[in-house]
Amino acid sequence: MTDPTAPLPGAAEAPRAIQVTAVRKAFGQVTALAGVDLTVETGTLTALLGPNGAGKTTLVRIIATLTRPDAGRVLVFGFDVTTQGREVRARIGLTGQYAGLDDALSGHDNLMLIGRLAGLGRGPAAGRAAELTGALGLTDAAGRMLRTYSGGMRRRLDLAASLMHKPELLVLDEPTTGLDPGSRQQLWAILTELKAAGTTMLLTTQYLEEADRFADLVHVLHHGKVIATGTPGELKSMAGGEGTLDDAFLALTREGTAA
Amino acid sequence: MTAAAVRYRPTRDSALVAGRNLRVLRKNPGRMIYPLVQPLVLLVMFVSVFGNLALSGHGAGAGGTYREFLIPGIIIQNAALTAPTTGLALLRDTSSGLADRFRSLPMARAAVLAGRLSSDAIVFAVQAVLLLALAVPLGFQVRPGLAGLAAIAAVTVAFAVGVAVLSAWLALLINDQETAERVLYFPAIALAFVSSAFAPVGDLAGWMQPVARVNPVTAAASVIRSIAGGGPLAWPLFELGWWTAALILIPGALAARRWNAAR
Repeated sequence: MTDPTAPLPGAAEAPRAIQVTAVRKAFGQVTALAGVDLTVETGTLTALLGPNGAGKTTLVRIIATLTRPDAGRVLVFGFDVTTQGREVRARIGLTGQYAGLDDALSGHDNLMLIGRLAGLGRGPAAGRAAELTGALGLTDAAGRMLRTYSGGMRRRLDLAASLMHKPELLVLDEPTTGLDPGSRQQLWAILTELKAAGTTMLLTTQYLEEADRFADLVHVLHHGKVIATGTPGELKSMAGGEGTLDDAFLALTREGTAA
Repeated sequence: MTAAAVRYRPTRDSALVAGRNLRVLRKNPGRMIYPLVQPLVLLVMFVSVFGNLALSGHGAGAGGTYREFLIPGIIIQNAALTAPTTGLALLRDTSSGLADRFRSLPMARAAVLAGRLSSDAIVFAVQAVLLLALAVPLGFQVRPGLAGLAAIAAVTVAFAVGVAVLSAWLALLINDQETAERVLYFPAIALAFVSSAFAPVGDLAGWMQPVARVNPVTAAASVIRSIAGGGPLAWPLFELGWWTAALILIPGALAARRWNAAR
């Protein structure tokens, strides 16, 4: 297994994109996170893999400053999410499971609103909106009400919204869940381009083959704990080599349950 | 990383949010029916059904007709019934995921609340102006003329903003849109009835009277009646003033705290 705390070559000088240390979070009687440690190196695409209820969304919400951890520490580019939320929010973009957009406005109006609230002036926001709708194949739909969009179009607009202020870190909570294969492929083509351009990404997914194909590093989260960390190849060999990441995942989560 | 501290511009952000809310109304005119059309229908119906009743002997509306007593009550009742839309709109943004989007942006979080209140204040003002424009031909006499009408509109908006702030805090406490839809209108209706909106306090059931006397709806209706008819203004204006300030400051601070907090 790769030592998760060892910096990747070339990443030594910049602070880590995300550093999670001993984070715990409970909602009443339900423990969502039971002491999570993990890191995301700048410039990488890291996947957070886990079954439903593993705590993925809670962790993503803590990183995005939407939820406060009960204990532990989360640093985003060196800034503490609980005490330096402003600095954190200036550097991240969040794409949620449920598209955080206004149905009663056009795609263009949504992007303008979010871009301007993120601090862009009117002109730069309009330029960025045109650039992103162009890159995401939404130019023709930009003037239409959001409620007329298909699921795949909404997801792409949601991604565009989270990219308006050019965040250094993009946090994607199950970005492809519920999309048809064509839309998923399209979204992945965009994410691959973003990665090539240097954007750090943390994404949660239930689609193991996506983690397998695209992630540099995978953290497996189960019952609120990281039970395994490694490259997709390493995780597969941990579970006996021959199988797919699916087999590895099932083997790991079974062990995690038995423990 | 040493970066310049991220600076927020709460006024600009509030204006952006308010602009978005008004744009949504403009692009979805159906949403204007409740705050702007329904009150006019209610006014016509109330005045047509009850407007010709005689006012019994108590002092509150002495010298006037029941129609003149009733119209200020209907104006304030409509403000009280429209104000919960503020809280419901906040919950709509929460359940659509838009609130999380706003809260994850480098913006002043409280601007979402302030922007909502600003755009709703504009809606309340349009509502008051439309109601008054219809009330005058229905027989509502305002002695000081246009200045009086403007003062009445201002009083109505201030009262509505106070109740809207309360609805925002309650909605955030309830944190469920369906529950809030059922719960928030009840206190508004109760407040309107246990007050001098429809009858002088002295004519209400005995147990209602102590509540009705301290009810901000009573204060607001009295202020409007005094402006229109030239009655005593100082005390009801003082009462309405502290009620409005209290409603804006206390639930406002609680709502902002709840909205801004990461949970």
